[in-house]
Amino acid sequence: MKPALKRLGHQPWLGSFIAATVVWLMTIAFTGGQGGGEILTSALSFGTFTVIVGLGQMMVITTGPGNVDLSIPATMTLSGVIAMKIMNTDEALLLIGILAALSASLVVGVANYILIRLLRIPPIIATLSSSFLILSTAISYGRGIRIKPPPSLAEFATVRYAGVPVVAVAVVALSFLLAIVLKRTIYGRTVLAIGQNERAAWLAGLNVKSVRFATYLLSALFAGICGILQSGFSGGAALNMGDDFLLSSIAVVVIGGTSVAGGKANVPGIWGAALFMYLLVTMLNIFGASPGVRLILTGVMIIAVITMAGGEKASR
Amino acid sequence: MLKKALICAASISVMMIAGAAHADTKGKKIALSNNYAGNSWRQAMLKSWDKVTKKAVADGVVAAADAFTTSENQVTEQAAQIQNLILQGYNAIVINAASPDALNGVVKQACDAGITVVSFDGIVTEPCAWRVAVDFKKMGRLEVEYLAKKMPAGGNLLEIRGLAGVFVDDEIHAGIADGVKANPQFKIVGSVHGNWAQEVAQKEVAGILPSLPEIKAVVTQGGDGYGAAQAFAAAGRPTPTIIMGNRQDELQWWKEQKDKNGYETMSASIAPGVSTLAFWVAQMILDGKQVPKDLTVPFLTIEQANIDAAVANTEKGGVANVEYSAADAAKVVAGK
Repeated sequence: MKPALKRLGHQPWLGSFIAATVVWLMTIAFTGGQGGGEILTSALSFGTFTVIVGLGQMMVITTGPGNVDLSIPATMTLSGVIAMKIMNTDEALLLIGILAALSASLVVGVANYILIRLLRIPPIIATLSSSFLILSTAISYGRGIRIKPPPSLAEFATVRYAGVPVVAVAVVALSFLLAIVLKRTIYGRTVLAIGQNERAAWLAGLNVKSVRFATYLLSALFAGICGILQSGFSGGAALNMGDDFLLSSIAVVVIGGTSVAGGKANVPGIWGAALFMYLLVTMLNIFGASPGVRLILTGVMIIAVITMAGGEKASR
Repeated sequence: MLKKALICAASISVMMIAGAAHADTKGKKIALSNNYAGNSWRQAMLKSWDKVTKKAVADGVVAAADAFTTSENQVTEQAAQIQNLILQGYNAIVINAASPDALNGVVKQACDAGITVVSFDGIVTEPCAWRVAVDFKKMGRLEVEYLAKKMPAGGNLLEIRGLAGVFVDDEIHAGIADGVKANPQFKIVGSVHGNWAQEVAQKEVAGILPSLPEIKAVVTQGGDGYGAAQAFAAAGRPTPTIIMGNRQDELQWWKEQKDKNGYETMSASIAPGVSTLAFWVAQMILDGKQVPKDLTVPFLTIEQANIDAAVANTEKGGVANVEYSAADAAKVVAGK
């Protein structure tokens, strides 16, 4: 029993969940218990989107220092715009729209990898510059921007049972799947190995190139999925729908206990961090803090949580 | 004394001659320096510019009117862009600026090079430039005044603000605060920053809503009304009076509610076609006309009576818009 508890105490994801709970408790203490459940529901609804892109970002970051995908917001937008425009509120075109949007996202993944691998551009610059291209494509293709999603997509993105959004449940399942992939498959193990030491992984005979390629594809695919769901959730696609996700996709990865240096991924931490980030902003809004104070407190809290989660270093 | 009067008279007559002579602008080139294009308002702004200036070029009013947009919404980038425009020999530069003061240095360089600089929407404070500005404060006040008329008993308000730290956000907020002060039956019980984006507004409102008492109305800055409506619907709360902006989705939603249950509200916004007003102002200055440095453009309001027409005239995914003509610009310059 004791070792199990001890092991739990060392889990780097615990910090973000504790932080989320503390923030939530502080909020309902302030409101006198009013709306506690509803706040959790909306945290789950909105946190889910951050989790989807966060999972993709986590895989990319885990492949080692310097790897990061900054094209996520642009890919989301492109995917949302394509999906909404092709579906054009028509149920019959739902699948075609999804397929087209996801294919476009995969093309982005391929393009990113070409820039990084063949042209040897550092990932930060490569994905940042590709995001300009992607966003311009979305703008010129989209023009007429917010087209409503077909009712079934909107229904799927917003429906909830007993306060639990269906999308959140689906993404929890996806997270489990990804955790298993990381722990139990050759692909997952290779991602971790590359992140720990690329040269050692290569010498061990692992296929570094194709695994990294697959990881950028995965990140773009997740961004695409998020774009479609977000469009369904908020009644259409907008050109600036991804703006909010550039920093938050990276923040949830780091707060969730994934190593920025790579080689160490943490799936549950992404959930804790996404809920924490949403609840934190909500709490400060409810407290009526001014924007300046809000930004300062957000920064301080993030540093505090990362420091808490960083305790695991000593054990290595 | 007499000498002074004489000089005065002389200078006035010189001005009048200049005005009457209509310095030809046929050979003049005007550039648009724009800092951002990533939302539907900016897209409409560029489209309006393109439509109106193309015609002006075809009609031989000016030689060229090219639009340039920076990709990153950064001051440094726009400053470099303006420097290039100076070197390229444009006679006038129309600017939607990334910052009210950080571009002042390069704007001064342009003025010193004899270039006419007209800023609009995102204005610059450099005294040598012209400013085509919106009275944002008045816009905020108007929202509360409308609500005071609609619901004399008052009630709780939720305020959705724009992007923190931006001049426009502070101004509209100050106007709303003034309005609430003058109408103390209203109380702002919650405030969030929606960043002028539906998704963000929806997220922030959904977060704060469970903690709030009954909300009578939502005061906004435009571009965030639809997101707020979605958040209220998702929380299962009655829809309050939400002041709308000018995006098609907001207007469409308003019309649908109106047809369903007679929902009433109003919309206040800035027409993206203000870029064309700035164009004509620049043309007038090049033409040698006397133009005051600070101009105020009327903002666009849509009332209950003309919502149907507004929806019909706004393309799907676009924004309600007005494009200005040379005559409109002359009227604004004359202060009418």
